[in-house]
Amino acid sequence: MATQDQENLHELFERFLDPEQAARAVQDVRRAEQILRDNPAPEPDKSLITNIEAEIAQVLQRHKRASAFAGIVCRVAAVAAVVVVATAMSLMFLEKGEHERAEVTTASMMPRAIWESQDIVADDADLAVLTAEIEQVEEEALSLELGQNGGNGEKSVVELEIELIAIETDFWKG
Amino acid sequence: MPRSDDLAEIIIGCKKGDAACFTRLLDIYASRCYGYFYRLTGNKTVSDDLLSELFVKLTEKIGSYKGGSFESWLFRIASNIFHDYLRSKHRRQKLLEAQKTQLDTETVEQKFSDGEMIDRLQVRLQRLDADARQLIMLRFYSDLSFKEIARMRREPIGTALSKLHRGLKKLRELMET
Repeated sequence: MATQDQENLHELFERFLDPEQAARAVQDVRRAEQILRDNPAPEPDKSLITNIEAEIAQVLQRHKRASAFAGIVCRVAAVAAVVVVATAMSLMFLEKGEHERAEVTTASMMPRAIWESQDIVADDADLAVLTAEIEQVEEEALSLELGQNGGNGEKSVVELEIELIAIETDFWKG
Repeated sequence: MPRSDDLAEIIIGCKKGDAACFTRLLDIYASRCYGYFYRLTGNKTVSDDLLSELFVKLTEKIGSYKGGSFESWLFRIASNIFHDYLRSKHRRQKLLEAQKTQLDTETVEQKFSDGEMIDRLQVRLQRLDADARQLIMLRFYSDLSFKEIARMRREPIGTALSKLHRGLKKLRELMET
């Protein structure tokens, strides 16, 4: 900062006036400023200074309260943000976990290949065996009923029916 | 005038909200700012109010001071406060236009209020035009260079120099008669 002490008034005036006029202008300024120095303005009262100090203290107090309140608001907002994020994340994980469990349950009840199959009998080996057995027993029953086997036909039919019932029971038990 | 290092330390303290640092600023600048207001208004009560307003504003705005000449920053606030005062005074005068005679009496009384002795200089200063008076007071009390004063008033340095020269010359003539 260039203060008045460092300022060269001559040089400044000479930028706008000729050297003689500049010298006179500087002299005018110096003499008028001396008049101002010789006639000082009154000083502020002590009571005024005390009042101003009290006002400054009040302003500072207000600022401190405002910044303390702002600090509390910031902290509460930060805690709320953490709670919201934590809740959202835990909900996400819970949903994901349930989804995974559901898939496992479904898998244990019925294999995906069977569920998506167009021909269950062909794709499920157990079912294919059982179906073949049923068909075989049905054929045997039919031939017995028609007397194609000869001999002890009625007894054989009863046995066959018992066997058929047993197979069906096994089938529904899974 | 405080050393610039000391002043920088005081300002840092003020920015931290240290009341003692504000008291030091008050010690350094109260007298000069009070003189500035008093020479412009010629009224002690008004100068008291303006000085209080200045330091309250300074306390509120110290955070916005970003370096550079502190005097320039402070006297810019002081100048704005004085202009606000002039505007509100002007509004009051407009409202009271119908009672002009009464107002004139009041203004004269205000100038010589508080039973104080108005010094010769103050009376002569009232005879200068308002702009020259403000420029002279800014120069005298702020201790700013012409370059800074011109920048603050947003006018060319030559204009500020010429106005000040004419104003001071007239003041000297008035004081010598």
